[in-house]
Amino acid sequence: MGAAIVAPRPPHVDDVEDPGRRRFLQAGLGAGAIAAAGSVARAAADTGSLDMTRTAPDAIPMKPLGRTGERVSILGLGGYHLGTVASVTEAIRLVHEAVDAGVTFFDNAWEYNGGRSEEWLGQALQGRRDKVFLMTKVCTHGRDRKTAMRQLEESLSRLRTDHLDLWQIHEVIYENDPDLHFAKGGVIQALDEAKKQGKIRFVGFTGHKSPAIHLKMLAHDYPFDSVQMPLNCFDGTYRSFEQLVLPDLEWRGIAALGMKSLGGDGQPILHGVVTAEEALRYAMSLPVATTISGIDSLAVLRQNVAIARGFTPMTAEDMQLLRARCAPFAADGHLELFKSTKRYDGGVGREQHGYPPSAEMPL
Amino acid sequence: MIIDAPPDPSRRDFMKTVGVLGAAVGLSAGARASSASGAPTAADTASGEIPRRPLGRSGVEVSAIGVGGHHLGDLSTVDDAIRLVHEAVDSGITFFDNCWEYYNGKTENWLGRALRGRRDKVFLMTKVCTHGRSGRLAMQMLEQSLRRLGTDHLDLWQIHGIVYDNDPELAYAAGGVLEAFDQAKAQGKTRFVGFTGHKDPAFHLKMLALEYPFDTVQMPLNPFDAGFHSFEKQVLPEVNRRGMAALGMKSMGGTAWAVKNGVVTAEELLRYAMSLPVAVTICGMDSLDVLHQNVRIARGFAPMTAGEMDDVRARCAATAADGRYEPYKVSLRYDNPITRLPHGFPLDPTQREVKAMLAKGTGTWEPR
Repeated sequence: MGAAIVAPRPPHVDDVEDPGRRRFLQAGLGAGAIAAAGSVARAAADTGSLDMTRTAPDAIPMKPLGRTGERVSILGLGGYHLGTVASVTEAIRLVHEAVDAGVTFFDNAWEYNGGRSEEWLGQALQGRRDKVFLMTKVCTHGRDRKTAMRQLEESLSRLRTDHLDLWQIHEVIYENDPDLHFAKGGVIQALDEAKKQGKIRFVGFTGHKSPAIHLKMLAHDYPFDSVQMPLNCFDGTYRSFEQLVLPDLEWRGIAALGMKSLGGDGQPILHGVVTAEEALRYAMSLPVATTISGIDSLAVLRQNVAIARGFTPMTAEDMQLLRARCAPFAADGHLELFKSTKRYDGGVGREQHGYPPSAEMPL
Repeated sequence: MIIDAPPDPSRRDFMKTVGVLGAAVGLSAGARASSASGAPTAADTASGEIPRRPLGRSGVEVSAIGVGGHHLGDLSTVDDAIRLVHEAVDSGITFFDNCWEYYNGKTENWLGRALRGRRDKVFLMTKVCTHGRSGRLAMQMLEQSLRRLGTDHLDLWQIHGIVYDNDPELAYAAGGVLEAFDQAKAQGKTRFVGFTGHKDPAFHLKMLALEYPFDTVQMPLNPFDAGFHSFEKQVLPEVNRRGMAALGMKSMGGTAWAVKNGVVTAEELLRYAMSLPVAVTICGMDSLDVLHQNVRIARGFAPMTAGEMDDVRARCAATAADGRYEPYKVSLRYDNPITRLPHGFPLDPTQREVKAMLAKGTGTWEPR
């Protein structure tokens, strides 16, 4: 997919010296710039959809993972919510049904639910490891390479496998995170080392906070295979990853992984701003490899699988209409609290940075 | 936690108190008016007087520190407020901040009483609170502000609280608040105009990019900001490039949490803010003690060197990276209910201002 797409190089990628400032100037000066970025994303969405394939008419479609040569299901199973179901038996049942339904992309993180999410997924995947594309995340939050390698061994052991398909740096959300990750002896060196050892195939990073921080990571020109970020119909008009980061990934041929398609907590659905189907279809219609979905019950799994099976991309016009409908609600950020407040910033990461717990912050 | 606002019309009577935590400590703006380099001028070097600085290219000079209007309402009585204002004027402070919606009009009333017979000695600013609504409403608010302030004209009238993604569009819409600016200037009811906001440099830049000839732009400026969604890095140079006056606020980060935690001292923070290329640093002063402290710092003010400023920024950078010391940027709690309601955003019933509104049932939702 990546190679086939021709998208103009976003001007800010040259601006290594002070990427934040110029980018914001552009965004700000930019009714025009924003419209242009949006149209790149939309054009790419159209192109990306051409790469969608199905093994059967009612199967969950597969899309290429950037330039890796891999293909993954357009719906991914989020690891955090897996660890919140009532028992390991339920988690296993959820995973098995997902695999049987054609979900291949499985998300996780070293720090989710104190390791339970990885542990349960590992148990569920016994005998099914080869059917899935397995991702987990490393949670150094600024600590060194050794910490990262230790976490990798723990993740592998919990997941009961000898290798990951994708290992991502978790929760790049603080202004100084890019500096910490790229510091000498930092997590980036662990990514190199793990690849060399054959313990991981691909690498990436994730974050829910700020497009500027993602762009700072990308400006280092490290060969990431994937980048995970919030993508939804509210993001399109509020501190927008869709407008600011997605075109950059397209240009670089890096796979975009979407998350928080329902705004993180489903509030927009509950408030009747959009339906779950509209929100999920919107996210899937963007030029992403997969949309990772938090699924904590068989009912939610079945709903999302049905949407993915019947998925046809929204037209550029329909996407624009949906964004416009959401924009007045989205402008204060209350539909994306992971961006507008500290509420979603994980405790492990805060502690590691020396920040007080979220509970002590005004929300 | 956040729920939909009650749909009934009584919500229009809600009382507003400005952001408790947010406005809470201090709006402080140090100003350096340079339309050119913004480097502190010779007038700033400790002469024993509070320095005066040019207000952009307006031809007017203002004192380098200003009295924030919100905190005036924190004082116990109108007499306390009058004493503070008189003493500030006598000390050489000329810049006075206020806002139509602060304390349901109390702070404009108190300042108006305090300025009787002193109106000509000060540069008087207040803010209009349409939050996306019409220019007609803005003109009604202006009349009310003038009445409360006991004057026939403002020196500066600013749009309050550009804090939402779509605020610039709403301000520039036909029939919007900018048309009221033109009208008020033509009628001689205000000399200069500007806008304010504490949330996101991108919104300020959007306001500027749409090219209305503002005279002033107010923003949070402090060493925490320098490393986090930075107005200093992104907006300040643009404001100065355009020859507008930058007005600094929140020199202590909105709360003095960092001072309490021993990261920096209040004096360092105020000196840092005043050393930036701004016309004035607006300071929240809720007691004579605070006034005396700030006047002392301003009188002895010599700009920090570039090296000193780097040191303060570096000391603050590590703890600033999550926005902890600038809660107004990373929390919806600083966005007052009175700004949320006109947009139709839901209210958080646990927020102090919302509770107060619900309890008292009186408000300044619209001019009466």
